[in-house]
Amino acid sequence: MQLKVDTRSPREGVAVIVLSGEVDVYTSPRLKQEMVDLLNRGQVNLIVDLNGVEYLDSTGLGVLIGGLKRAREREGDLRLICENMRILRIFEITGLTKIFEIDRTEEDALAKLK
Amino acid sequence: MSTQDGEAVVELTIPGKPEYVGVARLAILGVASRMRFSYDEVEDIRLAVGEACTTAIERANGSRGPDQEVRVRCLIHPTRLVVEVSDSAPPPATAEPDPTTETALDERGLGGVLIRILMDDVQSVDESETGRRGVRMVKYVASAAR
Repeated sequence: MQLKVDTRSPREGVAVIVLSGEVDVYTSPRLKQEMVDLLNRGQVNLIVDLNGVEYLDSTGLGVLIGGLKRAREREGDLRLICENMRILRIFEITGLTKIFEIDRTEEDALAKLK
Repeated sequence: MSTQDGEAVVELTIPGKPEYVGVARLAILGVASRMRFSYDEVEDIRLAVGEACTTAIERANGSRGPDQEVRVRCLIHPTRLVVEVSDSAPPPATAEPDPTTETALDERGLGGVLIRILMDDVQSVDESETGRRGVRMVKYVASAAR
């Protein structure tokens, strides 16, 4: 299975990246490039929807951490949407729930972005 | 293939390229699904093996290039699954990064952390005779007597 990356902008300066498939060493460079392009275009608030992600490894986690850092350097933010227990567990066991803000719905994520 | 003590052996060799990690994950999914592991345990094994392959491929790409192969060797026992992921890439010229630095945490350290959390027993493999390096991971079948 490959990674599908769909991006839309619900409002100025905010981009929602909807992922489906596998985020691994092969596919994560595409996610990284997408986030870098969005940030360079001034979309400094990113929401990454992980509900369609079937597999996420440390490479994908590294790309998300990098995206969060880059967004904050531009005074933006990165929030995640995830209800998938399997994927949430990966964030929990690596301690990354302390770093990422994870919402259940896009509405919640949008409301919490400045 | 089977060994004299009744273990079955499944072995797969993949090219040291990122697009083949998914092939190794599919294979380990097939192996682990045939054993008495829970759904979550099968997923843990799949992620751990994926991480080990990724580490091996990154090491291969840092040395002799993509011609390097990565071997995934599964020893299937009624009470446990042993998976060895190894390659014969030469050791890196520079020291391993300090796992406490931010860069290491971002890009390399997390893979090792995941493997240690997800599997029951983890050891490094460094065979000086064959030049193979990698990791040996064990997952025990929870319902079986050890």
